[in-house]
Amino acid sequence: MRTIGPGSVASLLKIALDVAYAVLWVAVIGVSLALVSLLLSLPFISGTTHGSIMIDSRPENISGLIRRWPAVAAFLLTVDLYVLVLGFIVNRLRRVFETLIMGDPFRPANVRRLRTVAIALIALDVAGYLVRLTLAWMIPEVHERITYGVSLSGWFAILAVFVLAEVFREGARLRGDAELTI
Amino acid sequence: MPIRVNLDRVLVERRMSLTELADRVGVTIANLSVLKTGKARAIRFSTLDALCRELGCQPGDILQFQPGPADTDDDFDAEG
Repeated sequence: MRTIGPGSVASLLKIALDVAYAVLWVAVIGVSLALVSLLLSLPFISGTTHGSIMIDSRPENISGLIRRWPAVAAFLLTVDLYVLVLGFIVNRLRRVFETLIMGDPFRPANVRRLRTVAIALIALDVAGYLVRLTLAWMIPEVHERITYGVSLSGWFAILAVFVLAEVFREGARLRGDAELTI
Repeated sequence: MPIRVNLDRVLVERRMSLTELADRVGVTIANLSVLKTGKARAIRFSTLDALCRELGCQPGDILQFQPGPADTDDDFDAEG
């Protein structure tokens, strides 16, 4: 299989990232619409009961969720934030892969992109923590089953991306040297 | 950069144009211009050999060390 150009692993991964990016945008729009709908419909639905819904096989009264609307709004907001950060990371990776497909990935712009991906991964970890907190606030029953500990694999991934950024930095420097070698 | 390239001076002394030198050495005019203006990061021995052969000079006639601050990667950082 080719390493660069059409039909290469890089171009296939680029397609996967494009699809993921589109899906994430749909998710952002969907969650944002749900949040706006919730906030706009509050004056009309507060204090009413509309039967029950099933959450994790347990009956949950929807009026209970309406009473806890600040928690629901906070949950939707943090999910939106989480998906936005994820979309940002995927977009940066798409840009890196664009340069890879062109056969010139070792450029200073990619160093910057990888560093921002590493920082965004930190933000993603924090956003994930906020999502778990707001979920527990919204549905107190799931509180015991949520883990709030630090994700070691996540932080190793962040470290790995920072290391990769430095590798790219050196690669870009060597490429610059090679270009200006007469 | 502490290494100064005196290619323009040698060319004037030999009454040779950059285009003619590029033809003789087999290096593009663009690359020779990079070398002449001191923007080059490195020079191959083969290029230096060809330059000295065609110009009838020593490497020291083309390259000169000038004490000063060493070249760093600051340019790269500013770029990136």
